[in-house]
Amino acid sequence: MRTIAILAMLAAFLIAPGLARAQGEVVVYCSVLVDWCNLMSQEFTRATGIRVVLTQKGSGETFAQIRAEANNPRGDVWWGGTGDPHLQAAEANLTEEYRSPALPRLHDWAQRQAQQSGFRTVGIYAGALGFTYNTQALARGRMPEPRCWRDLLQPAFRGEVQMSNPPSSGTAYTALATLVQLWGEEEAFNYLRQLHRQINQYTRSGPAPSRNAARGETTVGIMFLHDAVAEAIEGAPLRVVAPCEGTGYEIGSMSIIRGGPNRENARRWYEFALTPAAQALAVRAKSYQIPSHRDAPVPEQAPRLADIRLIDYDFARYGTTAERNRLIQRWEREVGSQPR
Amino acid sequence: MPCSSAGAARFARRLAERNRTGGARAIKRNVAICLAAGWLGYAVLPWYGVGRDGILALAWLATYPDAASAPALVQALAHGRAWLLPIGLALALPLATLTLPREHPAFGRLLVAGGALGLIFAAIAGFGIINSGPRWGWVAAMFGDARQPGFGVGAVITVGALVMLFANGIAARGNFRGDAFIAGSLTVIVALIAMFVAFPVAGVLLSAVQDADGNFTIQRFVERILADNVWGLGCIAGGTSCGVAWNTIFLGILAAVFSTALGLAFALIATRTTFRWKKGLRVLTILPIITPPFVISLALIILFGRTGIVTGWLGVLFDIPRSRWLYGLPGVLIAQVLSFTPVAFMVLIGVVEGISPSLEEASQTLGAKAAKTFRTVTWPLMRPGIASALLLGFVESLADFGNPLVLGGNYEVLSTQIYFAIVGAAYDPGRAAMLAVVLLFFTLGAFWVQNRWLGETSYVTVTGKGDAGLTAALPRGVRWLCYATALPWAVFTLTIYGIILVGGFVHDMGRGDMTFTWRHYLTAFQVEQTGHGLFFSGSAWQSFFTTIQVSAIAAPLTAAIGLLTAWLLARQRFAGRRAFEFATMMSFAIPGTVIGVAYIVAFNVPPIEITGTGMILVICFVFRNMPVGTRAGLAALAQIDKSLDEASLTLGGRSATTLFRVVLPLLRPAIVATLVFSFVHAMTAVSAIIFLVSARYNMATAYIGSRVEAGEYALAIAYSSVLIVVMLLSILLIQFAVGQRKLGRRAPAVSLGTA
Amino acid sequence: MPKSGPSSVEFSAVTKRYGTVTAVDAVSFTIEPGTLVTLLGPSGCGKTTTLRLIAGLEIASEGTISIGGRDVTRLSAADRSVSMVFQSYALFPHMSVLDNVAYGPTVSGRRKADARAMAHEKLDLLGLKGFEGRMPSELSGGQQQRVAVARALVLEPEVLLFDEPLSNLDAKLRRRVREDIRELQQRLNLTVGYVTHDQQEALAVSDRIIVMSNARIAQSGPPRELYEAPANPFVADFIGDANLLDAELLSVEGARAQVRFGPVVLDLPHRGAGTGGIKLSIRPEAFLLSATRPNRPCIAGTIAKAAYLGAHMEYSVTTEGGELFVVDRDVMRPIAVGSTVWIDLADHGVTVVPV
Repeated sequence: MRTIAILAMLAAFLIAPGLARAQGEVVVYCSVLVDWCNLMSQEFTRATGIRVVLTQKGSGETFAQIRAEANNPRGDVWWGGTGDPHLQAAEANLTEEYRSPALPRLHDWAQRQAQQSGFRTVGIYAGALGFTYNTQALARGRMPEPRCWRDLLQPAFRGEVQMSNPPSSGTAYTALATLVQLWGEEEAFNYLRQLHRQINQYTRSGPAPSRNAARGETTVGIMFLHDAVAEAIEGAPLRVVAPCEGTGYEIGSMSIIRGGPNRENARRWYEFALTPAAQALAVRAKSYQIPSHRDAPVPEQAPRLADIRLIDYDFARYGTTAERNRLIQRWEREVGSQPR
Repeated sequence: MPCSSAGAARFARRLAERNRTGGARAIKRNVAICLAAGWLGYAVLPWYGVGRDGILALAWLATYPDAASAPALVQALAHGRAWLLPIGLALALPLATLTLPREHPAFGRLLVAGGALGLIFAAIAGFGIINSGPRWGWVAAMFGDARQPGFGVGAVITVGALVMLFANGIAARGNFRGDAFIAGSLTVIVALIAMFVAFPVAGVLLSAVQDADGNFTIQRFVERILADNVWGLGCIAGGTSCGVAWNTIFLGILAAVFSTALGLAFALIATRTTFRWKKGLRVLTILPIITPPFVISLALIILFGRTGIVTGWLGVLFDIPRSRWLYGLPGVLIAQVLSFTPVAFMVLIGVVEGISPSLEEASQTLGAKAAKTFRTVTWPLMRPGIASALLLGFVESLADFGNPLVLGGNYEVLSTQIYFAIVGAAYDPGRAAMLAVVLLFFTLGAFWVQNRWLGETSYVTVTGKGDAGLTAALPRGVRWLCYATALPWAVFTLTIYGIILVGGFVHDMGRGDMTFTWRHYLTAFQVEQTGHGLFFSGSAWQSFFTTIQVSAIAAPLTAAIGLLTAWLLARQRFAGRRAFEFATMMSFAIPGTVIGVAYIVAFNVPPIEITGTGMILVICFVFRNMPVGTRAGLAALAQIDKSLDEASLTLGGRSATTLFRVVLPLLRPAIVATLVFSFVHAMTAVSAIIFLVSARYNMATAYIGSRVEAGEYALAIAYSSVLIVVMLLSILLIQFAVGQRKLGRRAPAVSLGTA
Repeated sequence: MPKSGPSSVEFSAVTKRYGTVTAVDAVSFTIEPGTLVTLLGPSGCGKTTTLRLIAGLEIASEGTISIGGRDVTRLSAADRSVSMVFQSYALFPHMSVLDNVAYGPTVSGRRKADARAMAHEKLDLLGLKGFEGRMPSELSGGQQQRVAVARALVLEPEVLLFDEPLSNLDAKLRRRVREDIRELQQRLNLTVGYVTHDQQEALAVSDRIIVMSNARIAQSGPPRELYEAPANPFVADFIGDANLLDAELLSVEGARAQVRFGPVVLDLPHRGAGTGGIKLSIRPEAFLLSATRPNRPCIAGTIAKAAYLGAHMEYSVTTEGGELFVVDRDVMRPIAVGSTVWIDLADHGVTVVPV
């Protein structure tokens, strides 16, 4: 009797995981919201039978991980997340050059991303930076409606603003680079120093401020607009703001990791991710970015880039490691480590 | 270990003759097997790791023996890796013993020399050259710009054989009563502890004083360690926040004081009052053991966050403005006190129960009033227990990672800072190592203080058992104080666990949407039927399977090594026993984040290149939880007559046979305790493994952590509830599988170590 | 399987040290095949360590140990053909009586059926038929001990060892078990090493006794020799009670000597002692008390204490030469405390002790 129990236990522990093993597999580092990661990997497995081993982490962290694993890469493909770290990975020769047959069918901004990196990365979606506020919290605190970056410096917003942490989040770095391009570096840091006093927490991941704003844990959150749109559609009392001074945007990218264990499967994922059908999955996962394939439907709720005052974001310059490190270090020194 | 105990025992049994010269033969047989294994590993099997598919995939056979798959002998002769040659020479030495009788003095000497030299050469060959080139100047001078990947199956077998040759050698020379099994297991355990505890920890200490290029710079270390963000006292002077070291200590002290006070209140209620549900209080003690990290913090956010349920009521009823007070010291403190109070209760209830009532009666017969008796007799007798609970709380707070991560806000502590220094975009292992040194220093300091403090206190007064007296009732003031602190807290704890229970089944508790849903469970644990077979499409399955697998593999290994260590400590006499005991307990005192950092620093390069594998998780758990097995084993062995072992020995049962047939059946309670603890702990641990998980081997706690970070609280809570259920089931299963010890007499109690 | 038959045990200059403490110091002795030799001494004298050295439970620091002519010094317990009956019996509490006894043959690789048959044979031999299925905790102390003996005998070892086998039994049972052990040893012609601190027990069962003191052998020999001719004051005192008294050796003539003890001059074997001050060992029963003064030189004394012990009287007698401990068979006519007595010496029970 006892022997049977032991055997049953062993069988349960050791065989059940075996069931999940399909023919091949691909290790995907995913830097978008977890629902989208899961939906993509499910659809991919359903279409190809290839098992997806998924890690969801922010783009900054994923970049750090790929760099740390450079000697012995464990991932195959890095899908999603702000473009800058993808460009840096390309620059550091961590990712592999690959020209997809689908490339000509992509929007110009997506192709430009590929050209800038020597075809080591490609755009898969775009989204504008901005902020969101919780209308209920705003009314309760009798705060004015913020429309511009500068509005966030008003005394009413002291301790009410949340953004992600530039050293760990690609979103926050995009914000940093956007402000520098908008106003020049000195003026931008002047602004960030003042904003520092308004911040209640620098979160580790990029979309966290929109989650927290939706829940009312913070009144204002700085993030990519599509993250907040997703929350608003879910029913959160959020209003999404594209700042009046103008704002930057991200080109969500995808790269194949150099020397990854499953090269062929990585390419299959790559091609799959560039199909209009796969790009249309985003809406089902409540992600409202603009897809990069011309034939992919643009979600109705997505903030139209045409309606937003976009700056001419210099990915070539602000995507380099040196510039990124310089700005982040300066931010840490002059802003992050300062008292509030 | 191909040539280990089991082999010895089997041969002994098969070959035992009437003149019983089996021992001599066993050693000779052992040596022959070890040599065969050693040469198999050295001259036949691939010396280096053969890639991700592993040795069993046999893909390496196609190109064998090229530079990737060749055995050491071929590597040394044909592929220019001459540094592997001395290992073979050392392995040739013991070949001479095959012709010698076992009693010959050279027999043992050759084995010891061959084994020791081989191990030294293997260590130099392994550590001297990594995949980016030679590590040390003199190695570079000898071999030029040499490179090699991490050791593989051939190296592991050869090193194992060298260890066993060495052990057989010292046994043949008459050490350990000539018992090769004891010599072997001791050597193996020492080697494993050196490899997986001492070496990585030493590596952390070292990398704290190195710069990015590996040069020693004490100056950089001093700079780092004295930095303002570590030791700054800005919070006192006003303005800025305090250094992370002070934050950690401050939080630790507060958590220790509050959890001890509450634990004491519970302990007094449970032992000294007529409170009705005091049996229920004891159930509290197992809660922290089976509670996954993060969930307490989540429940707190749902209650007290800015949009929390209670916050909402307070806003409506008393017009108290919503604020973010929870994020920071207050929130972390509450979460830690919730987690640690049951532990303090567990420590204190033993002490309070142990106080001999006759001492109190003596005081009362001398005319002292209840209050005075409490103050002058009861209280002083409880002091050692209180000291112990305080220090335990302090150490646990230092090691805690999950709560500060979720609730810390801008209040930074060492464990989270170490984490961010490693996983953030600001990757700085040097800083992580330095912070780890500070944390290690604090923890060891606390243990040292505890040792000093309690070492001088006499426990004689608190061991009075079978005492017939009646315990003194609490003085009225103390009683009401206990009720007033403990009961609201108990209600609070129940509320928290109620939220964990409900949270996974409703749409979004945080936003007040309490409609029932299976949505979160489906997201995490959906199973679909597809054209390619059963498809576990739920997002949690992968980490769930890995967690179960890793825990299920780690638990028996932990029990085996822990109990074997206990048996060696309790039953064998050997030089350096004290040092051995200290070394085995060491890994328990080291905070998880430190171990995590130590492992990725140590095991990301050859010769042991196992980061990103499931093996590193198993190893981490085994060596972190092993001391618990050792303690449980020591306690149980103290109650088993040593002459039982000796009787078995004189009846021809070799020490391995004795261990399996006599000692282990009597150790069942300790085995259960160790299996349960290590299994459950492997499922709830987060601080060490958060550094070690990878895409392929993700663990449940790490997955829950990232869901929390992304704000998906309901999913995290749903997953945690599943883990709790799985843990409870496995506890029952283990209990059933190992079974009760069949004994005519009273079963000795074995206490489960506190986590 | 042929019987091993009894073997000798030889110690030559065996030393056992624990750190700085020497538990056994250069001890040499031989146990002849088929004899029962007792290691006797006060606690801490090294007798148990010596026994454990024979068993292989301790490994000698120096010297050699042979069993049946084979050097076993470095062999572990499992490799020696030696079995032991422990003070606590050490029955495995999780095994039945049968499994306990069958343990030895089982772990030495016999088939299960053979092992059981061997166990049954020994259990029958010790009168334990019918107890096979019991657990050890369901047996009385005496039965447990017989199981322990059966278990030790089952492999027919070259040497059988007993470590204080009677100490957990009540006084009545001790004599019977003692006799059983002796009877068994003689019937089966076993070589037995036996440890006890009880000199009576030692005298009763042994072919030879080795008296140990402070890690060394104080004397070894047959019981009678030890009792009647102690080699030193320690042995004289430890084996039976003895009064150790100062005396003067007057002259030597052949093997005998004239010894003056107080007013009495005795003719005794000199045992190597020279003229001058010596010690006399006088057994308590060698003093002959009389209430009237005899007409030859004798010792005068006063009864200081008297105790009635049923079979005999015990007296403390104060004399000029010191306090004497006297045993008198005459229980019908006890001598009152305070009375003056005259003391004569018997023919035996008086020995010169070399100092």
